[in-house]
Amino acid sequence: MTTRELIKKILFIEIIKGLALTLKHFFSPAVTRQYPYKVKIEPPPGARALHALAKYETGKMKCVGCGLCSAICPTKCISIYTTEGEGHRKVVERYEIDTLRCVFCALCVEACPFGAIVLTPHFEYAGYDKGEFRYTKERLLDNWDRYMGPERGRDYFERFWVPKSRDFRGGG
Amino acid sequence: MAMEKTRLGDNSRVTTRELTLNMGPQHPATHGVLRLVLELDGETIVKCTPYVGYLHRGVEKHTEQLNYLQIIPHTDRLDYISSMANNIGYCVAVERLFGIKVPERAQYIRTIVAEVTRILSHLLWLGTHALDIGAMTVFLYCFREREKLQQLLERLCGARLTVSYTRIGGVKKDVDQQWLEDLYAFTEEFPMRIEQYETLIDKNRIWLKRTKGIGVITAEEAINMGLSGPVIRGSGVPYDVRKFMPYCVYDKVKWEVPTGKNGDIYDRYRVRMEEFRQSNSIIRQCIEQIPDGPIMADAPKFVLPPKDAVLTNMEQLIHHFVLITKGPMTAPEGEIYVATEVPKGELGFYIVSDGTGRPYRLRIRPPSFVHISALPRLCEGGLVADVIANIGSIDIVMGECDR
Repeated sequence: MTTRELIKKILFIEIIKGLALTLKHFFSPAVTRQYPYKVKIEPPPGARALHALAKYETGKMKCVGCGLCSAICPTKCISIYTTEGEGHRKVVERYEIDTLRCVFCALCVEACPFGAIVLTPHFEYAGYDKGEFRYTKERLLDNWDRYMGPERGRDYFERFWVPKSRDFRGGG
Repeated sequence: MAMEKTRLGDNSRVTTRELTLNMGPQHPATHGVLRLVLELDGETIVKCTPYVGYLHRGVEKHTEQLNYLQIIPHTDRLDYISSMANNIGYCVAVERLFGIKVPERAQYIRTIVAEVTRILSHLLWLGTHALDIGAMTVFLYCFREREKLQQLLERLCGARLTVSYTRIGGVKKDVDQQWLEDLYAFTEEFPMRIEQYETLIDKNRIWLKRTKGIGVITAEEAINMGLSGPVIRGSGVPYDVRKFMPYCVYDKVKWEVPTGKNGDIYDRYRVRMEEFRQSNSIIRQCIEQIPDGPIMADAPKFVLPPKDAVLTNMEQLIHHFVLITKGPMTAPEGEIYVATEVPKGELGFYIVSDGTGRPYRLRIRPPSFVHISALPRLCEGGLVADVIANIGSIDIVMGECDR
């Protein structure tokens, strides 16, 4: 061991350097955010969280009950029940998503040929029992009004509805 | 004399035996649900037996009932720290099986996100490994950078951890210029951050005592055990799938394979620190070189048709329905093994296709599983305290090991 190394060892040079770095951070602004008390975290558009069923501007539901979303769903968390309505038209009787089983992969959004299902960026939905996480058709349509709406919805489809060709101009 | 006799007693009646110590599966330092049964002689480990399978979900069997597109979210959950790299590994395997040529821009995007994932994974490794050994500050600093990168990933694909970003034949969504600029700004600042981590632990005498000369594995043993990734590179073997069998655009950027010499925990740590710098440099080069163009391959039999075509064209709509419900029905028969370099090592996908839309068999070769098999070799003869350091240094994730 050379003298230099010995002095370094006795004076704890490397430890002091480390401590100096830590000390420097006392005076720099904190990077932690006080969620949820002071800061509300706004996820970026296109973040994959709570589902919604899209509506046309007339208020009519876009979903026609083709069942592609439930076919592609890797966890099989979407269940659709359809009946025959007036003039032999298919009517979506029930449309349910079990959000506790959902893995938020957004393959349903990709599979839907009508742009009827979206994943909104709303992620704060806690509940006291499991039933609250079983989203029925009415609740999903309500989610659209609450977290998406026509303006944000159009923006969503233009940016995040994939795949698309180059001359794509919005869905629905 | 009389006192000593009573203390030690009569030797013929004293029996010594090895103490069996159960470590895990619920142990904060085993990084998941790994269980080790240690046989101790004093504090020295005589025998170490790892037990795996506490996180077995049956992914391989489950994928036989899913079509090729549906498997992508399942690959996220193998090594959930670096889900992007798993996605890429799977998609590269399927593309080689189908013979799809991925466009240049998609290849560049994949390389960028794979290296971002490598940085993310190594940051988590560094933070938790240092925390296990006793340095807490590094953990906080690592998570500061992790948060920035994860916010970038969230902006890119809508999820922070389980990204499901790549698709067979390309990537899900194009990157925008602003995203690339923000990532570039991060890479400019990141080398300074690496230096900060090094200031804290690189020469710290406690860190050196805990890592130097511990868990030594020679190059020959490492090769025989089938180790890969930073573990084998720490032993001085410059094996990297990205160099040996390049995929994406790793052959178009300049980078080096960092190696260690002694094969101990410290060298594995050094290799990962160097990989930070290499990944950083790869990202920078890719952002500088990234060309314009499509992000999905032109392979209508395997790739979902564009959305506007689905809405206007009957044939495309039928195509869309078949691809979603049945998978690519015209998939070629055959089998393929493709290895990619994920942050933990060599991740291989072995796919047997029987010509239907679903794989007949999908076998995953996870690096963590192979690395756990080296754990007895690393631990035996050492101390109990070093088990934690050893587990940390091989960087295992049980979601991938047990799959």
